Amino acid sequence: MTVDIAGIRLKNPVMTASGTFGYGLEFSPYTALDKLGAIIVKGLSLRPRPGNPGPRIVETPCGMLNAIGLQNAGVGTFIKEKLPLLRKIKTPVIANIFGENIADYAEAASMLDSVDGVAGLEVNISCPNVKHGGIVFGTDPNEAHRVVSAVRAATGLPVITKLSPNVTDIRVMVRAVEEAGTDAVSLINTIPGMVIDVEKRRPAIANRIGGLSGPAIRPIAVRMVWEAASVANTPLIGIGGITTARDALEFIMAGAAAVQVGTANFLDPDAAVKVAEGIRDYATKHKTSAAELTGAARR
Amino acid sequence: MQNSEVKIIHNKEVAPGYFLLGLSWTPKRVRPGQFVMLRVSDGLDPLLRRPFGIYRVMPGQRGVELLYQVVGKGTRILAAKRPGESLGVLGPLGNGFPKPGKGKKIIMAAGGMGIVPLYPLINELKDGLLLFGARGKAGTKVIKDFKKLKCRIRIATEDGSAGQAGLVTDLLREEVTPDAVVYACGPPGMLKAVSVIAEQADAPCWVSLERSMACGIGVCLGCAVKTRTHEEEAENRLYKMVCSDGPVFSSGDMDWDAI
Ligand SMILES: Cc1cc2nc3c(=O)[nH]c(=O)nc-3n(C[C@H](O)[C@H](O)[C@H](O)COP(=O)(O)OP(=O)(O)OC[C@H]3O[C@@H](n4cnc5c(N)ncnc54)[C@H](O)[C@@H]3O)c2cc1C
Ligand SMILES: Cc1cc2nc3c(=O)[nH]c(=O)nc-3n(C[C@H](O)[C@H](O)[C@H](O)COP(=O)(O)O)c2cc1C
Ligand code: FES
Repeated sequence: MTVDIAGIRLKNPVMTASGTFGYGLEFSPYTALDKLGAIIVKGLSLRPRPGNPGPRIVETPCGMLNAIGLQNAGVGTFIKEKLPLLRKIKTPVIANIFGENIADYAEAASMLDSVDGVAGLEVNISCPNVKHGGIVFGTDPNEAHRVVSAVRAATGLPVITKLSPNVTDIRVMVRAVEEAGTDAVSLINTIPGMVIDVEKRRPAIANRIGGLSGPAIRPIAVRMVWEAASVANTPLIGIGGITTARDALEFIMAGAAAVQVGTANFLDPDAAVKVAEGIRDYATKHKTSAAELTGAARR
Repeated sequence: MQNSEVKIIHNKEVAPGYFLLGLSWTPKRVRPGQFVMLRVSDGLDPLLRRPFGIYRVMPGQRGVELLYQVVGKGTRILAAKRPGESLGVLGPLGNGFPKPGKGKKIIMAAGGMGIVPLYPLINELKDGLLLFGARGKAGTKVIKDFKKLKCRIRIATEDGSAGQAGLVTDLLREEVTPDAVVYACGPPGMLKAVSVIAEQADAPCWVSLERSMACGIGVCLGCAVKTRTHEEEAENRLYKMVCSDGPVFSSGDMDWDAI
């Protein structure tokens, strides 16, 4: 069941998605962290961020909308307070980073480059470039290229670029970030959405617009992985609404070498381990492997 | 803290729209004020677990009881569950209420379903004055059980059909003294008023807050409440999580304008 992603060796192809698994340690009472392929921690920025006012979340049909505002204590605090505890877990830890401008991304990347216990970086490019009129890095191939190049130059760690679904043609973005030197591509991040509270006659969350996640987005995510796979030269990591092994297998057969489980961790803190076990059972039953199943639906 | 599948012992309507749910679940230790996240359906809609306060540990440690009101999709599904069916329970979660300190006059102020976390507190302290507010007489049925506990009860109803006509905060104004400690749970407007009254009387006040939740264990950062910390370097600690930092907070720590 082992897979190699961007030079990171995983016990199995199932990781936990950023922002849905805290720093991992919070889940140790409920699941076997050692049985995960990798843990991707909550998004980290150079400086601490307080996050958005509440309400921050609202449930939607088979999904949820969130506008957390990327609350986090900053890369420095992560390195000082969380990383020493994470080193004790026998599962690769991938740091998810984001920034308001390219220099911040690069500095966050280089800080993480010099410490023990980080197996790789996942670069969240679904954020606005404050220095460039607020254009979202992940919606413009040139901006995406620039930010990934800067991270690439700042670190020797494996780099995974996490794509935004908020684009017309995902293939253009895959090409741009691969050209910039990414080692792998993960997709998708949440899809912008909105809920109106008709009693209060205003948006249900304070930020008005939020990111949609959960089973509701899965078919969109599978389609995007399928499209990305038609051009990708690096491994793809499928994300979006996975709650069972069958869901994960859809992504794998569409072309993903690995997957991430996100919102499902809230329904069942043991969900990611169960997905991993289910994929293994499927592979055993059909005398195959995750690697062999990658892209199976394309052939 | 556990994540378990547990059997329903009973699920009975104790007053119109209010249900007492007995679960064959025996957590090692429950502190008054803690809650659980219930998976009301195996399906994907409703997707998220629902938070409910722990009402009572059943006699003989047979299980735990929750008391809930049917307000929407999830609680409607829950109300249709029968004994013998099972549910996913995550908990006990949250911090719970702190002890009152020696010689304090214990006052509990509850609005509607806000009585739930106060029941185990009164049960543990074996002391205290319960102030309960409801819209009308029908809403006071849920405090039947409290009459068996050793505590004094005063009731206020908005329509005057039971107890004193008015709000629970009117009762609190009459009862609060500087040597009192106030525990409160109820709708946000009530809690805000309670915190003002307690502050004016110089009495410490603990409030149990509610927010929509996704994870219940402090990882999604969805259930944030704003605190009064305003210093620049404390900026990243501006928000606290109701599920993992709370649900019980010192009322003086909260930014009530944002609640
Ligand atoms: C820590 C905590 C403890 C709680 N303890 C209890 C309890 O002991 N008994 C009880 O009956 N309820 C309790 N609640 C509230 C309970 O969680 C909600 O009533 C429930 O989630 C509603 O689910 P639903 O699917 O039926 O309603 P939905 O369809 O989700 O919503 C229906 C209505 O309920 C409101 N609502 C949804 N979630 C909440 C919430 N968390 N708090 C307040 N209103 C909400 C919505 O705004 C909407 O108006 C508690 C909430 C928290 C956060
Ligand atoms: C509450 C919440 C917080 C999230 N925070 C982050 C984050 O900090 N960085 C990031 O790259 N993605 C974040 N995501 C997106 C998820 O990692 C994932 O891409 C998305 O939720 C889709 O997967 P899912 O449907 O399995 O949840 C967050 C998602 C949720 C629901
Ligand atoms: S509900 Fe997820 S942090 Fe509180």
